[in-house]
Amino acid sequence: MAGVVAAFLTRVKSGFQRLLERPSTVDLKKYKDLLTSVRWREEKVAELSDEELTAAATALRERKALDQQAQVELCVLGREAARRALEQRPYDMQLVGALELLQGRVVEMGTGEGKTLAGALAAAGYAVQGRSVHVMSVNDYLARRDAEWMRPVYELLGVSVGWVDQESSPEERRAAYACDVTYGAVSEIGFDVLRDRLCTSVADLVHREPDVALIDEADSVLVDEARVPLVMAGSTDDAQADPEVAAIVRTLRPGQHYERDEDNRNAWLTSRGAKLVEKALGDIDLYSGDHSDRLAAVNAALHAQALLTRDVDYIVRDGKVHLINTSRGRIALLQRWPDGLQAAVEAKERLKPTESGEVLDSISVQGLIGRYRRVCGMTGTAQAVAEQLREFYDLKVSVIPPNKPCVRVDAADRVFATVEQKEAALIAEIVEAHETGRPILVGTLDVAESERIASLLAEAGVTAVVLNAKNDAEEAAIVADAGAHAAVTVSTQMAGRGTDIRLGGAGGSEADHDKVAELGGLYVMSCGHYGSSRLDNQLRGRSGRQGDPGGSVVYCSLADELVVQFAPEATAGSEPDEDGRLEDSTSARFIEHAQKVAEGVNLDIHRNTWRYTRLVERQRGLVLAYRDDVLRTDLAAKQLAEQAPQRWAELVEEHTAEVMEKVARQITLHHLDQRWSQHLAFLGDVRETIHLRALARETPIDEFHRVAIGEFRGIMKEISTLAAESLESVAITEDGADLAAAGLSRPTSTWTYMVHDNPFDSEAEQALQRVRASIRKVKTGR
Amino acid sequence: MLSAFRSALATPDLRRKILFTLMIIAIYRVGATIPSPGVSYPNVKRCLENVDDQGVVQLLNLFSGGALLQLSVFALGIMPYITASIIIQLLTVVIPRFEQLKKEGQSGQGKLTQFTRYLTIALAILQATGIVAMADRGQLFGNCQDPIIPNSNIFTLIVIVVTMTAGTAIIMWFGELITERGIGNGMSLLMFINIAARIPAEGAAILDKGGVTFAVVCVFALLIIASVVFVEQGQRRIPVQYAKRMIGRRMYGGTSTYLPLKVNQAGVIPVIFASSLLYLPDLISRLVGADGAGWQNFIANYIVKQDSWVHISVYFLLIIFFTYFYITITFNVNERADEMKKFGGFIPGIRPGRPTSEYLQFVLSRITLPGSLYLGIIAVLPNFFLEVTDSGQNQNFPFGGTAVLIMVGVGLDTVKQIESQLMQRNYEGFLK
Repeated sequence: MAGVVAAFLTRVKSGFQRLLERPSTVDLKKYKDLLTSVRWREEKVAELSDEELTAAATALRERKALDQQAQVELCVLGREAARRALEQRPYDMQLVGALELLQGRVVEMGTGEGKTLAGALAAAGYAVQGRSVHVMSVNDYLARRDAEWMRPVYELLGVSVGWVDQESSPEERRAAYACDVTYGAVSEIGFDVLRDRLCTSVADLVHREPDVALIDEADSVLVDEARVPLVMAGSTDDAQADPEVAAIVRTLRPGQHYERDEDNRNAWLTSRGAKLVEKALGDIDLYSGDHSDRLAAVNAALHAQALLTRDVDYIVRDGKVHLINTSRGRIALLQRWPDGLQAAVEAKERLKPTESGEVLDSISVQGLIGRYRRVCGMTGTAQAVAEQLREFYDLKVSVIPPNKPCVRVDAADRVFATVEQKEAALIAEIVEAHETGRPILVGTLDVAESERIASLLAEAGVTAVVLNAKNDAEEAAIVADAGAHAAVTVSTQMAGRGTDIRLGGAGGSEADHDKVAELGGLYVMSCGHYGSSRLDNQLRGRSGRQGDPGGSVVYCSLADELVVQFAPEATAGSEPDEDGRLEDSTSARFIEHAQKVAEGVNLDIHRNTWRYTRLVERQRGLVLAYRDDVLRTDLAAKQLAEQAPQRWAELVEEHTAEVMEKVARQITLHHLDQRWSQHLAFLGDVRETIHLRALARETPIDEFHRVAIGEFRGIMKEISTLAAESLESVAITEDGADLAAAGLSRPTSTWTYMVHDNPFDSEAEQALQRVRASIRKVKTGR
Repeated sequence: MLSAFRSALATPDLRRKILFTLMIIAIYRVGATIPSPGVSYPNVKRCLENVDDQGVVQLLNLFSGGALLQLSVFALGIMPYITASIIIQLLTVVIPRFEQLKKEGQSGQGKLTQFTRYLTIALAILQATGIVAMADRGQLFGNCQDPIIPNSNIFTLIVIVVTMTAGTAIIMWFGELITERGIGNGMSLLMFINIAARIPAEGAAILDKGGVTFAVVCVFALLIIASVVFVEQGQRRIPVQYAKRMIGRRMYGGTSTYLPLKVNQAGVIPVIFASSLLYLPDLISRLVGADGAGWQNFIANYIVKQDSWVHISVYFLLIIFFTYFYITITFNVNERADEMKKFGGFIPGIRPGRPTSEYLQFVLSRITLPGSLYLGIIAVLPNFFLEVTDSGQNQNFPFGGTAVLIMVGVGLDTVKQIESQLMQRNYEGFLK
């Protein structure tokens, strides 16, 4: 009995803790007085001229901390500035959102609640405290749009604002980052961090010290894309994927020469296939260990040939391979597969190979965010990831209640036995709803599906606009019109995100709005569940903004990819009716189960990646700190003088101390960058086999740390030794060292990209889990 | 080593973790000596002095740190929890619902843990009832006449059962607390403490026999422990390459990418299997009842008597057999080879698929031989010194066989964990 009570008490305690930490709606009482004071002050501020308003905002900078009084002032001035500049008076809830952002929270605000403006007010709030703010968007288009849109507000508040995008020149970047507030896509800001890594003089740096990060669509950036590494590569003279291998692999037949696993994530040669390839390559032994790069080329070619399908995983346009991001269902312009694979796909399609080279440095989005002293964010769906935000970023979530309550009607799932039946029913429902003139947004899972649905609709006599592989600006314009009367829009996940769908269309009048509202508002239909309930909610959230009416429904089937992959045991609980509809609870539960499994798998992968990258980020921090010292001080010269005193003295004699300081810096930085990229490559290789350590009942992550730390320990010393060696041979001119002549050429060109969700790594992780599970069984048995 | 400990203690959060673990252990040990209400402690003490039983109860007693025979509030130790988690693990294979939960990741795992806890409580009630019943009927200590529970009305018995069950729940909580906020795996650590707790008592018993004997035993024990530590860390590292990703780049992993095979890949399980199997004939003989038949005499003289050469050689051979057996079922070379093939890995010079699995099998069987011999020797060694260690219970002797293997295993794991925590803070390691 006492045991039960003890267990009960533990449960009560943990339940209580959960309750305390639950992301809850923000306590409005706290803000009641503040909002009243704001309203009370509003009239007075309205009488100020623009100049006086700016002066009042600038006066805020005098204050040391943003106390209650300053917060009131900020809200009043911000509200007035927005009213004058945008003709929008921020709602109370937007002010509350801004204030929560100033506390370093991730705020949840529904679509159409004015996140952008709330974010801008918060950014201005940070700026008047003398801090520099990076507002991170998901893409260049949104970064630029928001910056331009909010600029007048910032100007009235005396805050400078800038933006960067892919095309910005280094000077433009430097100017943008020098502003109080800088807008930019996460990837662009990250790439700038990486590019700064290669500078050899202080004047070339574009970034300032990272301070505040305000992240738009925080869930997607911090969770969905957190494990995507941003990579900077430099060209090398090394061999490309050769067309010869691609030609050989093209002749292989599945089943006979190679095999695939059920879920199509791996392919490998059979022994017959291996013999054939070996013969074609001139009777070599692929597996002797001497032909590793040949084998790697064969494996990459096989992967490209057997597992990647044109128009599903990638498209070919303008003689280039473009990846399709399956989670967002659009072309991912900046993404590449890990180098070998990208080249192999190009060879498969007989395209001219793009540049390939070695990875100079990479940083994960998580590592990028970790550099900032203060992180806050906003999104429409934060609650579902509250646990993860807390675990990985130590961020708390605040839910801002909507200005007007949401009246959207979310219907229960409609489950079907097969995909065809599901689609037939979906089309029928679209046709029916379309006849009334109600606008419809159809969410699909991938590009191929969106096209299929569109052609089915065309057959049924409904013209639909398809959004999948266009550029962000165009998409935004189309999505904005998705609420127009009788509009049918078929879209992949998050196409045109960040854009509000107004009922009656973007330029529609009040009457247009009311006409559509009377029909029931925007009807969101989904072609199946996404891998997480959060993505489902994002799609649903496009309807029912600002208290508008709206509806949503999900059409799914037991043959959907999600179910097949994550709940292969799913069986219908009842006989389907003639349309294939399943109305039993068992089927519905399987669908839910599959989504939960998918969420669990993704979380595990995220957590695992995070655990493996944490130490590397730390080491990067140490290297960067050292690099910064070399860059800004005469550290390199001192070290070289110590390492090779004689040679150094000679050279200083021969040239001047000033020139030599520069030479020392150049040489040291070269070896530092080189050594770091080697270290990363080394860790990459170790990472790939580390799961095998579990066989000896060792913890792979601990072993990884052991290896990584052991390797890192010698790096700094090695760099100065190498630098001293180079000092012997390098030719010195007035402009510094001629590194190229000494065989120490820096990469001729560098470029940046994001690694597309690495098919190899996630597999290795699955293998790891399997090994670990069997080991765990053994351990408990002991 | 000492400096590493010092730096461990100098790191604030590591120090907090270590101190927290020590505090839990202290509370646990105190609880292990508090008798349950209604148990007559003087009588228990008197019975303990002339106990001569051997077998499973003794082993359980060892695993509970001597708490079992004292009928303390923590008498059941962590065994119910371990049993429960094994059962739940097995059930995930059998019951589809459990399998689903397991796949659901964190939330599903949480539910399984909850089931494990309930099952632990149920097992604890069962086991406590059994022990209390045995104690009440005077069977716990064989032929001891003193009543252990003097006032044995039903209410007293229920109170004892409830107390012990509560004790188990608390131990379970302790274990989880250590895993969560302390250092090392809580369950194994508590097991380690239980065994280690017997050392002083046994040591004192040996010291009574004279200083020289004691010194010899100490030296001998240290030798065993050192050799166990040595062999436990022994690995055969088969180099592995994953030629999947990089084209036109030399392999960087070098000596750090390998497939490790432990010399003692099987761990302590073969020893436990062998000793339980050896106990069976004795059990059967007792169940049948003593009628003086020849086979029963044989069992009594050669199997049960642990210093007989029959017992020693059968024990030794069984351990070797079970080592091979256990490695065959737990280490599936075909699966390993398949997995490597799928993910593009290979052993340089060996073709993937069949040749790889044959090669792995070859290395494994070669390495298992010394491994099994080592296990056998460590397990039977104490049997040669029974006169010294007294009472003919090698299992109960904390320097012998099973106990040393478990203690060293847990000890190494824990040190490794402390080390890896230190490493993340860039300190010199423990094992250097």
